[in-house]
Amino acid sequence: MRGSIIFKIQLAALILLSLVLAGCMTSAKSRYFGKTSPPNANVLRYISGSEPESLDPQIGTGQPEARVYMALYEGLVEYDPKTMEPRPELATNWEISPDAVEYLFHLRKDAKWSNGDPITANDFVFSFRRGFAPETASRNANLGYYIKYAEPYNNHSVFMKGPDGNFYIAKDFAPEAENGAAVAPDKATPIGTETETSKMLRAPAKLTLNGDTFKRAREIQGNEKLKGVFKFNARDFKNPIAFTGKVINGKDGLSQFLRENLSKEALEHCIQGASCDDAHKQVLADGLNKLMESGIYDEQRFAGVTLSKDSQTLLANLAKENKKRADEAKAIDDDIAQTDDAAKKEEKAKLKKKQIANLFYLNRFLLEDVFKDDLAAADLITVEAKDIGVEAIDDYTLRITLTQPAPYFMSLLPHQFFRLVPQKAIEKFGKNWVRPENIVTCGPFKVKTHRPYDTLEVVRDPNYWDAATVKLDEIDFYPLEENTTMLNLYKSGSVDALYNHTVPASWVAEVSRYTDEYLKHPEVAMEYYSIASKKPPMDNVYVRKAFSRAVDREAIAKFRGTVTPLLDFTPEGIFPAYEEARKKIYEEARVKRGMSPEEWTHRNDFNPEKACALMAEAGYKVTKGEGGRCTVENFPVEKINITYNTLESNRQIAEMIQSQWKQNLGITVPLKNMEWKTFLPYRSGVQYEGFTRNAWSGDYMDPFTFLNLFYSEQNDGATGWHDQKYDDMLDNANKTLDPQKRFELLAQAELYVMDQQIVIPLQTQSTNWIKKPYVKGMYPNPGTLFPWKFVYIERDTAKWDQDVANIMKAE
Amino acid sequence: MLRFILKRLLIIIPMALIVVSVTWALVRFAPGTFYSSEKQLPAAVEANIRKKYGLDKPLIEQYLMMMGNITCRTKAADETTTTGLQFSIGSANFKCFDFGDSLKYEGQSVNEILWRTVPVSATLGILAYLLALAIGITAGTIAALRQNTAIDYSSMAISMLGISMPNFVLGPILVLIFSLYLYWFPPARWDGVLGVSNLVLPVLTLSAVYAAYIARLTRAGMLEVLRSDYIRTARAKGLSEWHVVTRHALRGGLMPVISFTGPALAQLLAGTVVVEKIFALPGMGNVFIQSIFNRDEPLTLGVVAFLSIITLLFNLLVDIGYAFLDPRIRYD
Repeated sequence: MRGSIIFKIQLAALILLSLVLAGCMTSAKSRYFGKTSPPNANVLRYISGSEPESLDPQIGTGQPEARVYMALYEGLVEYDPKTMEPRPELATNWEISPDAVEYLFHLRKDAKWSNGDPITANDFVFSFRRGFAPETASRNANLGYYIKYAEPYNNHSVFMKGPDGNFYIAKDFAPEAENGAAVAPDKATPIGTETETSKMLRAPAKLTLNGDTFKRAREIQGNEKLKGVFKFNARDFKNPIAFTGKVINGKDGLSQFLRENLSKEALEHCIQGASCDDAHKQVLADGLNKLMESGIYDEQRFAGVTLSKDSQTLLANLAKENKKRADEAKAIDDDIAQTDDAAKKEEKAKLKKKQIANLFYLNRFLLEDVFKDDLAAADLITVEAKDIGVEAIDDYTLRITLTQPAPYFMSLLPHQFFRLVPQKAIEKFGKNWVRPENIVTCGPFKVKTHRPYDTLEVVRDPNYWDAATVKLDEIDFYPLEENTTMLNLYKSGSVDALYNHTVPASWVAEVSRYTDEYLKHPEVAMEYYSIASKKPPMDNVYVRKAFSRAVDREAIAKFRGTVTPLLDFTPEGIFPAYEEARKKIYEEARVKRGMSPEEWTHRNDFNPEKACALMAEAGYKVTKGEGGRCTVENFPVEKINITYNTLESNRQIAEMIQSQWKQNLGITVPLKNMEWKTFLPYRSGVQYEGFTRNAWSGDYMDPFTFLNLFYSEQNDGATGWHDQKYDDMLDNANKTLDPQKRFELLAQAELYVMDQQIVIPLQTQSTNWIKKPYVKGMYPNPGTLFPWKFVYIERDTAKWDQDVANIMKAE
Repeated sequence: MLRFILKRLLIIIPMALIVVSVTWALVRFAPGTFYSSEKQLPAAVEANIRKKYGLDKPLIEQYLMMMGNITCRTKAADETTTTGLQFSIGSANFKCFDFGDSLKYEGQSVNEILWRTVPVSATLGILAYLLALAIGITAGTIAALRQNTAIDYSSMAISMLGISMPNFVLGPILVLIFSLYLYWFPPARWDGVLGVSNLVLPVLTLSAVYAAYIARLTRAGMLEVLRSDYIRTARAKGLSEWHVVTRHALRGGLMPVISFTGPALAQLLAGTVVVEKIFALPGMGNVFIQSIFNRDEPLTLGVVAFLSIITLLFNLLVDIGYAFLDPRIRYD
């Protein structure tokens, strides 16, 4: 009895399974993937990725947001549907000054907001100022730091006025080493009408100092020239009689302290007034300067002194800071006491930070506060919105001034951060302006409904200046992240197109057979492993190169099915002009290094034999094995691992690389995985040891977005490596106006950094997505970003897309 | 009884506050922040963000602010928020139960996110549980009445299958058959509470395991009750079998099902992440998990507070249910 029931269940399961299989078979035979018929309404149903963080283009940072913003907002320029190069949008044309510092945009006069208001240059001025406003706290603000005074405005910096009422100029205080770097030429050739603002902007850059008193104090302490400005001199004593009177008669601690430490003779002369000449004043000033160096701060000293609220806060912070420093110093002393190694002792002693009370500028601040009327206060003026280099010359002419020549500035401008936001709505509704009932937009579409996590429906905006070009009535954005779910929706005909990287590895073989739908094109994105290049044993360049050359990238690419192997740092096939320039630079380098073309091509690629030789060169004991492979005997494998964020695809690649290293070098590197948000600070703080998984998608269409990862100590590449020479190479390149020459200089920098092998490049990503053949005007461009006004639904089956691998060449 | 209910209701408040506090500490001390991403931020930009969201204040101040938000506090003069319960006593303005704004989704308050997502999860959960009750109780009762027959064996075998088949397997199988082969129902997405065709597959998927469980619980409970003396008495009195089962046996036999209902319903209302993911439903489970991955502290706390209250309430309801179904239970 029991057996027969189980048999029946098994039979039922078998029938079910065969049904399922039959389902798969029939779909495989058809030309299209699943149900393929255009939707009844003129609506595109698009899966846009995760739920947008906000409908405010200055807030949302990711690609899912960018896709939505491209329907709702416009900027001066827009991405070209195929190449993503900037093309005219709200700006019809522009002029660039010969030094590439000033950009003049002529705006179209027929552009309107969704509420019918005209769009003028002032809207751009408002949008840019809001983007950099510290209160907006935009995470993309640093993309626009090239705009003059945008960075100081964004980070609360201050300008400083001298006693003559003029602003101090930055280049007068630049430390010698940095002289000439990143400072705009004084005589920028003006373009457009001359105005007061443009005069201010074209003048040499003003000195900006940190807005925070403590940080400013450190900044001044570290710069001898700046310290000079803060020194007291004779003319600072506006009223020496009052000053000395206070010092001599004062009952408070500070006066007493000054009485004891300033020259008695000078004080006496000045109290008498008549004999207080400049020489005596100078003696007083010198005394004060000396006190500033040694530190006048002491809580008791200030007892009974009336201080302003700012100074009181400052003193409270000072006390806290001092305690912290004292504790740190004590901890270091204890450490030193414990160690016997002299070198270590010295190293530890270096860690001891100066007591902040000694900070020069703070002392001056306090003195100025107490003797307000007698000492000239340094005039600090907060950098304001009106100072940034964006100016409306008239309603339809906009001028942007940069801090330095930046020939690729145009390619930044289509980014969401530079799109227009509505001034009136923002001023009226505050952060609630993005609600569907309040929102005002300026793109080809406007918001109809927004149900977060479910759908964002946008409809054609009749007020849009180019409404005639807009072909779709509506776009429904579905926020979805589950790849299987979205492929189900696609197959059942409920959505028309997906976003990039949405076909899972296990489906690629099946889906890529639908050649009228599957899109696989190179992407402005790459994946790599960062190396903790400052930590032993990875601080040895031979070791780093050995690991890199023991990675079989071809095998990984074959396994992934969608990526192409990468040996350089900028993705392949994205920047053709750059690759051309790089070829030239590489050829020069090849000749210089006396390598044959054959040797050069294979200088970095997979080669176990070379990898083993490199390990031997690094001083490890290598035992030869079969086929060029080897076993590295004494490698400290316990000091390294491969860290990646928990994701199936990351694990697969890590395991592949692990097994390749084991096979080729005999080193089994342990794997370590982490939850994403835990992983991020671990990686960026270079807390990992050995290798960590890393990837980058370009913010804009220029190789600099990749090379920038190793620029300065910001350390986006997460390797801990910083080289002033590399920074200078990039700076020089970016100052070069001729695009071809600039690319060559960038290529030299790339060669330089790749010779250090601080990362192991793995692959150029591919777009890897799918769309129905009746969706036209969507191209697999390197960022998978679409100017929606060109997208439409083709109902004539004869005109449907065919063989989309060549879609970029067609039409 | 009334005293018992009041006492239990009062306990819910400190319990929920403790749960929220512990969660707050866990979220706060987890590495990573809501604004951390692939791209590193310049220190100044990070400082701007921390200031904007009050993260630069001392921890204790942030904690008190959070507690004030979720319970009650006086409203500052410059606050324009309209979420939560707001009232004034004399000149003082108060504001209660406002979980603040989501950090990840700028311009959306946690309260409105809960308002939007709870109905989705609740519809799904209640429908699934009703379906599970209908199938489970019927199957379990029949199995108990026909113990050791083919019906008993087959229904128990199917229920075993239901329990052991996880919904991330069942869901895709149903999608494959009904959406991609037969094209009867859409494979995913939400179409409102009345969008029946969108509801069928997720409700089926979700109810399977509960139906199976209830069937087994009912069968066990019924078997025990059917052998008891009062059932024999009822039969001896000459009552019809239908009467015996529905009036007398089920009342006792469903006790295990009732105690299962409390936690099960709370769990279902909380949203079932897996089903919501598979079918791309904008429910609370999905939001909850995302909020943790996003380090969206106010949202996580809002959901946790809501869930802890719901769970405690349902447990109370279950206890009350016992008293009604079993005359032997008294809470005095």
